[in-house]
Amino acid sequence: MFTVIRSKEAVLQALASTVNRDPTASDYRFQDDPYLTPKTSSEFKLFSLSQESGRNAAKYFISTYPKYFQKDYAQPHIPCLMPETLEAQIEEVSEAALIERIQMRKVKAAVDLYDQLQQAGTPVSLDVTNQLLDLICFYGDCDPAQENEDVQDEPQTKKGRASPCLVFSFRENNNAERIFALLSEPNTHSYSALIRGMVKYGAYSKAFSTYTDLLNNQLKADVSTFNALITAAPEVKEKYNEKWELIVDLLKQMAEQKVKPNLLTLNAVLKALRRCGTVGKSQAFPVISEMRALSIDPSLASYNHLLSIFYKPGAPFQGQTDILQEVMNEVSGKSFTPQDPDDAQFFITAVRICLDTKDIEQAYRVHELLGVGENWRLLGNDFQQNIYHARFFSLLCMMENIDVVLKWYRDLVPSVYYPSSNVMRDLLQVLDTDNRLDLIPQIWKDLKQLGHGNRQTLVEELLTLMAREKQNQEVQETFAECALDIKKMYDTGDRGKVMMSWTAGSLSDLVSVLLAAQRRQDAWEILKLFKTHNRVPSEELLDKFLTCIKESGDVNQALELVQISAGFCLPGTPKLIQRVQQEFLLSEQQNLSFQTHISHNKNSLLFTFSVSDTEKPVHAL
Amino acid sequence: MYRRLLINIYQVRNGLIHTQNTRLPSTKCKERESFAPVIWAPCTARPLGTSSISFSENKENSTSLSEDKEKRPEENEAKEEVNTDGQKSTEISNATLTLQLETEPVDKPEDSKQVEKTKSGKESLLELLGAMKVEVTTVRKIRPSKTPRMSERPDQEPMESTHSMFQHATAKGSQQQGTLNPALVAAVSAAASTLPNRHQAESELLKQLRKHEAVPDTQRRADGQNIGHIIADMKVGGRKTNGRSSARPTSQIRFDDDGKGYTQDRGITGELDAVRRRKSPFTSKRLNIFTAGMEQDTLSVLGPTLWDIDLANQIVQATNQAPRNGFEEMIQWTKEGKLWQYPINNEAGLEEEASVPFHEHVFLEKHLDESFPRQGPVRHFMELVITGLAKNHHLTVQQKKEHIDWFRDYFRQKDDVLKEAEA
Repeated sequence: MFTVIRSKEAVLQALASTVNRDPTASDYRFQDDPYLTPKTSSEFKLFSLSQESGRNAAKYFISTYPKYFQKDYAQPHIPCLMPETLEAQIEEVSEAALIERIQMRKVKAAVDLYDQLQQAGTPVSLDVTNQLLDLICFYGDCDPAQENEDVQDEPQTKKGRASPCLVFSFRENNNAERIFALLSEPNTHSYSALIRGMVKYGAYSKAFSTYTDLLNNQLKADVSTFNALITAAPEVKEKYNEKWELIVDLLKQMAEQKVKPNLLTLNAVLKALRRCGTVGKSQAFPVISEMRALSIDPSLASYNHLLSIFYKPGAPFQGQTDILQEVMNEVSGKSFTPQDPDDAQFFITAVRICLDTKDIEQAYRVHELLGVGENWRLLGNDFQQNIYHARFFSLLCMMENIDVVLKWYRDLVPSVYYPSSNVMRDLLQVLDTDNRLDLIPQIWKDLKQLGHGNRQTLVEELLTLMAREKQNQEVQETFAECALDIKKMYDTGDRGKVMMSWTAGSLSDLVSVLLAAQRRQDAWEILKLFKTHNRVPSEELLDKFLTCIKESGDVNQALELVQISAGFCLPGTPKLIQRVQQEFLLSEQQNLSFQTHISHNKNSLLFTFSVSDTEKPVHAL
Repeated sequence: MYRRLLINIYQVRNGLIHTQNTRLPSTKCKERESFAPVIWAPCTARPLGTSSISFSENKENSTSLSEDKEKRPEENEAKEEVNTDGQKSTEISNATLTLQLETEPVDKPEDSKQVEKTKSGKESLLELLGAMKVEVTTVRKIRPSKTPRMSERPDQEPMESTHSMFQHATAKGSQQQGTLNPALVAAVSAAASTLPNRHQAESELLKQLRKHEAVPDTQRRADGQNIGHIIADMKVGGRKTNGRSSARPTSQIRFDDDGKGYTQDRGITGELDAVRRRKSPFTSKRLNIFTAGMEQDTLSVLGPTLWDIDLANQIVQATNQAPRNGFEEMIQWTKEGKLWQYPINNEAGLEEEASVPFHEHVFLEKHLDESFPRQGPVRHFMELVITGLAKNHHLTVQQKKEHIDWFRDYFRQKDDVLKEAEA
């Protein structure tokens, strides 16, 4: 009999592994309410943030008014649903109270209590003091902004919270240093807290002098201290090789003090090497080999730093293109777990390099890696996901043919990626390159849904593409429908969005598309818009229009066309008149009105054509 | 647009090749027809390295250059001689052409034709190169054989280069057509791009060529035609192409192909070059600061510090934690403790009761003994209470005890009232 001990999530994990992504569905977060299915990137952002902020608001109320939320219905008890205690429970001056304040991360209250304990002569144990030092150094000697207040004040959560503390750098004689000075026998932990705090708040040279102090006290540093110092190393030296020498020196001291490096050490060294120029390129791989020998396997953050060392944005890529390939050889098929906050940078860095070097093959490998195991978590937040997909898709547009591009397009848009108008323009270019303009109406529908229907440049490009060549009849029909739809977009300008304004180019493209589809009446309507919007049609357009009128033999319309042309004072009007007279059978009355019209034009001296030019054919009739 | 540009260039190049083909004299065309498919077939079927092709094309150029010079005087002197050195010199280029094809037995009979048609051979090579650029798989196939080649290079043939290849080609060509050692072919193709110091290598090569020339070869000197001259002539061309190849190794093919160098191209050749240039950088030497298996001084660990918690928090925030489907959301809830754990266990949350035996729950009389009266209404009431408690599955044993204790206290407080009533 065996009993296999499975984790409590094992059953669900097995079930989850059977579910594949549905490229037609939106993100799972939005599936509860079809009304809230995002269609554009801004909607996506809005909906996901509002969902999150709703959660935060609920948490805020529960924590602020715990007395209303004491009823515990759940059996067994669910601790995470109960309100957190935000007020200190222990009032007396004691070590226990200090511990409580430290756990509640109340920096000021903890420091005050410590001072009271000192004044009362109550000894505080070294461990508790160290914890207090940790707290002070971590928050830079100021109280952390409450998460809940944050929700109300500024929706941008994380950055806003950290910044007010970052403003204060590590001040002279702050509480951390004061308390540290009071310690009779500071140990490694005390020094570690102080040095890490100094590095975190930018007092780099002070951190190194504290480290010297530590060595003078015959103590050993711990691995996190070294990590912090390595991070600080590029800040205290000027030259590339000096920076590197300092890092090597620190590593040697680690070895001397028998401190085993960890993954964060590796990543700190590589991150520092990013700022060491050419030294970084020569030393990056030996560093990785060194850590491999200590059985520390690089995480995605390490590879990210490595790529950043070799591929500086904007720099030429000669001879380095294969580093990406080497990295991909290393990571392909592996499932990574998040171990470093920088892990989430890898995918966007890798795909940026693919885009810069136009290396579609590696891009596919990067994308494949994303599908392995839990790697998708390492793609980072929504913003990074969008960057990643935009880069990947741009590269596809650049390098692949339309069928492949469309396959990816259907797969990614709009379930995970909401393309920007620039990317959509790339897509149009691919359509153009591969002669698949017949897909334009489909793309227009997507464009409209993605909220790019009012991007003037994009819409004009769409119209130009449709008007440029003559397609077969069926396609022209769909083009005409699409063109009329675009016209609606110009007309409505829905819900306070930016209105597009007609240009001569867009109008004449629209007319050409409609004419090509034999929709003379619609085209005629558009032609009238020239006048209402004070645009001037081109002569070729009117010429084309006349040809179309001729096919139906509508004389009146032909005359009107000439009148429109004359109304715009086009220099091509005489030619148009000539064509009308030659190609149409004008009745007596029409002839008369036509002639008066011509003479009217002549009288108004708008045209410089000669009498014989126009009148001869009339007489011939 | 980048890809569009490429398409255009390919089209232009194809056009060029086609025009070259049509410009051929009709007799040549016929013969080309006869052997062109043979050349095409192996190159599509066989995993060929572009390196060897680009390399042989270099020589192709050089030899055809020198050959043109050479051929004219030759034709005056010894035109009808079947086995002249002039013939051999054409064979050189032929041999280089067949280098990549020689393992294919089919093309051997065609050799004689190719000898006469070095020019058309070049064109076919151009076509072949055009075709090769598409073949991506070659990189992978060449890679494994790389290390042995590199290792044999220094001792066996220290000066391997285009020149040494000429030597071999001439030597073999005079003896037997198209039976070049495959190992040699492999070595030569490996050497193509491994000339680190061009000038030094070149001078050494010249020396060796001269030495080779000095070797008495009766067979070759029989007609008084000095092969040394031919080789010396080749060197001119060889140096030229060689210099170019080391200057721009990746775009080599393109230059020879249509004469227009274009800059941005990272095709198969670049990739191949990278493979040859160095081994995987991840296996490079280490810094040797730490010693593996190092003992770590154990510090007193007090559980996670604030910094550790923050690191974990940062990692969580940096990564994408949003569930992708319902099951993943349930996993998240399970981790937060909001959901029953699967598989469903109706004793979940009753862990501390698991060790309490059944009879503790049911037989509660032992708790009544000391302080309750032995008989009477209180006793009767308490018996009812424990019967109820014994059937109650919502309470733990501890709670049941507390329940009984509460009644004990209660009746103790009401002791005098009870006594009064009874008494």
